[in-house]
Amino acid sequence: MTASRQLHIKFFAVLREQAGVSTLAVTTSARTPTELYAELVATRGLTLPAALLRVAINDRYTTMDTPLSPGDRVVFIPPVAGG
Amino acid sequence: MFELTGQPIDSTALRARLARPDAGACVVFEGWVRNHHAGKPVSRLEYEAFDELARFEGEAITSEAEQEHPGCTVLCVHRTGSLGIGELAVWIGVVSPHRHAAFLACRQVIEEIKRRLPVWKKEHHSGNLAEWVNCTTESVAGRLAPENYYARQASLPEVGAAGQARLAEASVLVVGAGGLGCPAALYLATSGVGRLTLADAGKVEVSNLHRQILFTADDVGAAKATVAAARLRAQNPLVKIEAHASDVTPANVRALVTGRTAVLDCTDNFATRFLLHDACRSAGVPLVSAAVYRFEGELNVFRPDAPGCLHCLWSGRAPGELEAVANCAGAPVFGPAVGVLGVLQAAETLKLILDLVPPRNPPATRLVNLLDLSTQAIERPADPACPVCGNPVSAPPQRTDLPDSAPVVLTAEQLAALGPVRIVALLEPGETLDASTAPAAAMALPMGDLVSVRELAAQGGPLVLTCRHGLRSAALARLFRAEGFRRIYSLGGG
Repeated sequence: MTASRQLHIKFFAVLREQAGVSTLAVTTSARTPTELYAELVATRGLTLPAALLRVAINDRYTTMDTPLSPGDRVVFIPPVAGG
Repeated sequence: MFELTGQPIDSTALRARLARPDAGACVVFEGWVRNHHAGKPVSRLEYEAFDELARFEGEAITSEAEQEHPGCTVLCVHRTGSLGIGELAVWIGVVSPHRHAAFLACRQVIEEIKRRLPVWKKEHHSGNLAEWVNCTTESVAGRLAPENYYARQASLPEVGAAGQARLAEASVLVVGAGGLGCPAALYLATSGVGRLTLADAGKVEVSNLHRQILFTADDVGAAKATVAAARLRAQNPLVKIEAHASDVTPANVRALVTGRTAVLDCTDNFATRFLLHDACRSAGVPLVSAAVYRFEGELNVFRPDAPGCLHCLWSGRAPGELEAVANCAGAPVFGPAVGVLGVLQAAETLKLILDLVPPRNPPATRLVNLLDLSTQAIERPADPACPVCGNPVSAPPQRTDLPDSAPVVLTAEQLAALGPVRIVALLEPGETLDASTAPAAAMALPMGDLVSVRELAAQGGPLVLTCRHGLRSAALARLFRAEGFRRIYSLGGG
């Protein structure tokens, strides 16, 4: 059995609208952001392809295969459009 | 310095904050909200930011620009919230003693903001229609992404997704951003080499422009490495480009070379060529080297584990002697010759990373002649007595035509007569420093660490090498003597 962990997810821009919430606390067995996003696609109906996303854990950019730890703050970053 | 604000931006107040008595230039970029995008009318924009990360990345972006463009002070403010047509969305100001660096730094900041600042904007059209920029189906298909950028290269069966991933993980150092380095770095960057560092201490001169294709007439006087890096970032924003705008020296060469997938020697002098070669050899990094003379060029790939090194090729000749016949500075050169050779260096490097190099033993020097369009491979046999890659069993004859023909090999009595000296014991792997191999005063270095030996020799004063049998130390002392170090000796042997 895979260990499950509690995570805090924050959504911005198009993902916030698709998820219908701006924050979400989940208990999940996902080990990486890639696995977590796949879960969210299934449970929250997110449609942005995972290949377009970057991810931040605890407010710093990291990679989609970084192992998740209990209590992590996870933000999926849709294609940015500053300037 | 970077700020995020929900209030209207006051550009006059921001410009006043940058005032500096030594500043001769202030470059300002303002991003405005316009009334159309992609053929559709826009009525307003709504900016949303991931606050914590945006402040961190914004600060990183401005301080990177200040580091890469010395003398520049950067201030950037980005808006959030709902903005009407004509409002300021982003303000970037850069002051610097000279305009060129300020233009480059300002451009770099806006491009990095568009690439990585976690800020999104929603375009409101007429009525209730609105969409998030860069997240629509059309923008996804046309966006700057690896699968689009490298599509035509990754579809080669020899490359594929796996090869493209190897390129993305590769780290390559290009030494010399001149006639060879410009085209070499350009193709390495566009092919997707994940990390590329350009090292060159020079500044762009008018007489460079006919062959150094990354530079324009506006770049004259600016640091080559910095300008070339900015140009390559614009060419491929998907890879990391770094500029090292100072010389490669015995003190920094190891840090620059260690951990690289490959190093390109695009230099125009033998001193740097030997330095790079030796550092690559001890760090286990392949060196792709090229040189051009008028209409002709030569290409050598030196693998760190294979015999047949640069010392074998030029055995016993001093860089000074070689320089006299091959010096590039001021020498006539056919522009396309450096172009062809630089592109060949890029091709060889990509093939090394992708493991596409057919095995060839012994290695060869490849000659290219642009006048008759001939190419020729000349075998580069290893010198079994080479003190660097071979295994010397007897001393090569000492050259007597060198400026200093003082004996290289010293007896213990001669050593004592020399007065205060520095003694270096060269150790084979697994060997330790003990009284049987070295005098008490000796410091120890690994046998392959020619970079340190060269550094010590360059400090001046007599330097004495020793090793277990005295053969390698004698051969190395002769090698360095031939390079022009007059006060290097070997204790015994040879």
